[in-house]
This record gives sequence, C-alpha cells and structure tokens, in this order.
Amino acid sequence: MSGFAIEVSNLRKEFIVNKKNGFFNRKKERKVFTAVDGISFNVKYGEIFGFLGPNGAGKTTTIKMISTLLMPTSGKIKVDGIDVVKNPREVLKNMGTVLTGERSIYWKLTGRENLEYFASMYGITGKKAKEKIDYLLKRLDLFKRADETVEKYSTGMKQRVALAKALLADPKILILDEPTSGLDPQSALNLRQLILEIKEEGRTVLLTTHYMEEADDLSDRIAIIDHGKIIALDTPDNIKKSLNRTNVLILELNKWDRSIENSIKDIDSVKNISSKFNDFSQRWEIKIHIENGSKTISQVIENIVKHGIDITNFKKEEPTLEDVFLDLTGKSLRE
Amino acid sequence: MKSLTSIFAVFKKELKIALRYPSWFMQLIIWPVALPFGYIFTARALSGKDASSLNQFQSMTNTTDYITFILIGTTIWMLVNSMLWSFGSRLRVEQIRGTLESNWLCPVPKINIQIGHALFDLVTNLIFVIVSLIEFKIFFNFNFAGSPLLAFLVLILSIPSIYGIGFIFSSLVIWAKEINSMVFLVRGIISIFCGITYPLTVLPNWMKSISKIIPMTHTINALRSVIAAGANLHDISYEIKFLILSGIILMILGILSFSYTQNKAKATGSLGHY
Repeated sequence: MSGFAIEVSNLRKEFIVNKKNGFFNRKKERKVFTAVDGISFNVKYGEIFGFLGPNGAGKTTTIKMISTLLMPTSGKIKVDGIDVVKNPREVLKNMGTVLTGERSIYWKLTGRENLEYFASMYGITGKKAKEKIDYLLKRLDLFKRADETVEKYSTGMKQRVALAKALLADPKILILDEPTSGLDPQSALNLRQLILEIKEEGRTVLLTTHYMEEADDLSDRIAIIDHGKIIALDTPDNIKKSLNRTNVLILELNKWDRSIENSIKDIDSVKNISSKFNDFSQRWEIKIHIENGSKTISQVIENIVKHGIDITNFKKEEPTLEDVFLDLTGKSLRE
Repeated sequence: MKSLTSIFAVFKKELKIALRYPSWFMQLIIWPVALPFGYIFTARALSGKDASSLNQFQSMTNTTDYITFILIGTTIWMLVNSMLWSFGSRLRVEQIRGTLESNWLCPVPKINIQIGHALFDLVTNLIFVIVSLIEFKIFFNFNFAGSPLLAFLVLILSIPSIYGIGFIFSSLVIWAKEINSMVFLVRGIISIFCGITYPLTVLPNWMKSISKIIPMTHTINALRSVIAAGANLHDISYEIKFLILSGIILMILGILSFSYTQNKAKATGSLGHY
C-alpha cells in the first residue's frame, strides 16, 4: 500500500477549442484551453479532502481524471498506489464515484433495480448483492420506497441512490463531485452527515464543492482551486489563520456606488471590497477586508459618512474560506 | 464469468426499461404488416388486372411471388432500422440520459456494455421476426418454398455484418451527436442500394457495383432465393461466403472504431457531453 490514498503530481489538462467561422468559411481557429494547470496534491487515507473553487475552476475536470473518465494531458495520478492511466479498471474496483447532477442513475428503474444493475457491473450478485443492497437502502433511508421508479424520487433521494451505488463495492476511496448541489437545506444537511459517517468507517473521501460552508464543515484539509491552479492547501483553520492580519467588516448601507467604492479602495489598508444589494431589506451589504485594525475602521466609516450615506448596521467578523478566496483572487466564490 | 455477468446485467436492465414503455409492443405488432402493404398494393397495380407483367418480374427474379419478395426486403430493412434506432443509438441515448459516465465508472471492459446492448437488440429482433412470420402467414398466406432452417442460417450469418455496422454507427453517433440524420442516411442507403422492393437488375451499373459490397444485399438475395424460389445451400454459397467474410471484417472494424471512439472521448472529455 502506498503512503497516500490519492497522489496527484503535475497534473495538467488542456482542451483544444475549435472555433468555426461560419458554414462557408472553413478556416477554424484553434485555441488551447488549460482547464487544469499543473496541480499537485496528496490525499491521506481516512481523511475528507475538500476541493473548493468557483464553477469552471477545474474541480470536475480533476475529479474526472482521477476517476479515469478523462485522460490527463500530462502528469501522474495514483489511486491506492495504482496508476489511473495504466490500469483504470483496477482503480475503479476500489473507488466509488458520485458525479454531479441527478441523472447518473436510471429514472425508469426502481432504486433497488438501479443498485442491482450496478452491483452486477461490479461482479456482486446473488445473496451477497441482496444483503448489500438491503443494507444500503436501509442505511440511506430509501428502503420504504425502494421499489418505486426513480423518476418519482425527490432530488435528495436520487442523490442518495447515487451514493448507495458508489458504496456498493465497499470502496476504500469515495469521490463526490458537488454532492449537495441542487438539494434543499435539510437534504444537504442529511447528506453531509452521511459523508461524515462514511469517513468514520475509515474511508477516504475526495469532495468537490463550491459551497465554502460545506468544505469548512466536512473537510480535514482543503485545496482551493481557481483557473486550474491550487492557490491554497491546508486545514480549514490554517487557511483561515493565514488571513490573521485581516479583519472583515460588514456594513449595511442605504446607498452605494462606484465612486464611494473607489474612495474607500484608496485607503492603503483596505484590501478588498465586495458589495451586493439585498432586495428584501432594500439595503446594500458591503464586505471590506482591512488591515491595521481600528485606525482603518475609523477611516472607512469617516469616508462613508462624508458621502452622506447612512450606516444601518455594522459588524466585524472572523474570516471565512470565502474571505480567503476573496483575498487570494480578488473575487467572490459565487461570481 | 464476470464478463458474462456484466453483459447479462446490461441485457436485463434494457429489458426492464423497455417493459416500462408498453407502446414499444404496438410497433412490434403494427410495423411488420403496415410497411409492406403500401409496396404490395403498388406492385399489384403495376402487375395489371390479369397479372400480365408478372412474367417480366419472373424473368428478373426467378419467382412470380412478388408478395414474398417484398416481405423479405421490408423485413430486413426493418431489422436494420431497428438496430440503428436501438443498438446503434444506445450509447448516444445513455449520453443524453446522463448515465453513460456512470457505466464507464464500472470496472468492466466497456465493450461488454455494448455487447449487452447488442444481446438485448438481438432478442427483440428475434421476437420481431417471429411476430412478422405469424402475421405474414395470417395476412399474406406466406409460405417457405425452401428450407426454413437455411433461411434462419442466412439470418444468423448476417448478424455479425449488421452489428458490425451497428458498432461503427454507434461510434459515429457519439461524434456527430445527432441520431436522426445519421439513421436516415444509413437506412436511405440500404433502401436504395439493397433492392428492398425491387430486383437489383433494374439499377444502373454504377449502383449495382455499390449494392454488391453491402452485406444486406446478399442477405436479401439469399433469403429471397431460399424462401421464394426454393434454393438450396449450394445455390446461395456465394452469398453465404460473402456474409461470413463481411461479418468478420465489419465486426473487427466496429470494435476498432468503438475502441478509438472510447479513447478519443476520454481525451476530449466528450463522454459526458449532451
């Protein structure tokens, strides 16, 4: 057994994008798009490793390369010590994968029939398959409706069938691509609890998400990815501590515009500003990352008041992973 | 053994899904009779009230039984059509459904998945042939002039060619991402060049040359010779040899194109594309 559950070194994936110039103009413009740009990381046995980044950052491309669905342009990936390019079938025997979206299972089959089908594809048949399927259906709270077609299930139930499918072969390593995407808050919470239980069983989980709270709550370690590059990798606490010097001010204002934003940006110790309008309260919510503590706070408030703006609420917060992302990239995770 | 398990699992899954669409059985019953009717009435009109032009037809086909002649052509056309829509399009359908990648994540040779699809298609086509024969007997008083076993052998020997084309077709569909136009293209070629409703002798020479390299032309010729004209194994030995050879070549080409498509899709990431 190798030292790590998943080893990724200098992984790169380029896609050729052909842009056609109309039907009669046969000349094509060829562009190379680098989705994953030479990333390296290791996932330890038994940990939950979170892959956090905005949509299009390269998370799913990386996951697909690890789960043998996509061929890397260059670099190496080993899962449980096995090279995924040289021996994909061996890798798949010890790995369960849940891909993003709810269409990875057959909607015209029942939950049980889906599991029976995929169990057979893993070579699990007969009594062993029945016992395993019954156990998973009960464990994932699907047993009562196991014999209904999946098309009648809620999104959360479909996602649980997909998770049960990934657990059929009792894999050491589980890969979850945006597992709570599209789920209601309660279903997402339940699924997160399940993921923690799966970790408690000693399995390794590689999880991608663009929800920072999810990455923070679940992950032992996190890699933050943007534009195909890992820009931070550590435990959630250590990543947040890296912003120690920075405070986050959250202000609620009755008015906001570009000129005010620029005048606050001109203050030396202001690092980043993000703003959004709350339709419900009809107020602007402004998030400002500052250095230099109270001195800067005074300057910021002075500047706002000078523009004739009312401050209707004010608080100072501990930095979150969202703040780390904002600090590292200058943009919000949700942008 | 594990390979057989996965092939049978795919077959069982396809069967369960098909059984949840009952309208599938309606077309199984209607089409074998509905399609040839139009051609048969056209032929009846052209043969004249006293069937005077049948001598002309016999000089080109060695039979006056134009109904059986047409039934064999339309049945093979429908078998190929069904193969294109079901087996040939299955990978694309899985891709659209979003289940293709789920299948590709299973630790089995991916060709097993396609073999499972082919097995399901073969069984449904066998049912189609049986239903067709029963309906032909009821509606057209269909009879075998030659050996039914020999006709069955011709059908069996045609399977590798038909499914070899199916493997190539399914790979092309993954590329083109468009099922309808591809099916219309392939079955259009078969309609025109294989003599579905007319003898090949009426075709211009350049078209005959193309006809001769399409395996289904030989399937139809051999079946017409056996069923309508009572030919024996010796009489159709050329067609038998051609079907064996074309079956081997098309199967190899089919598996190679499937393997190439699989590698290419893994390189471009198109497995999950809609």
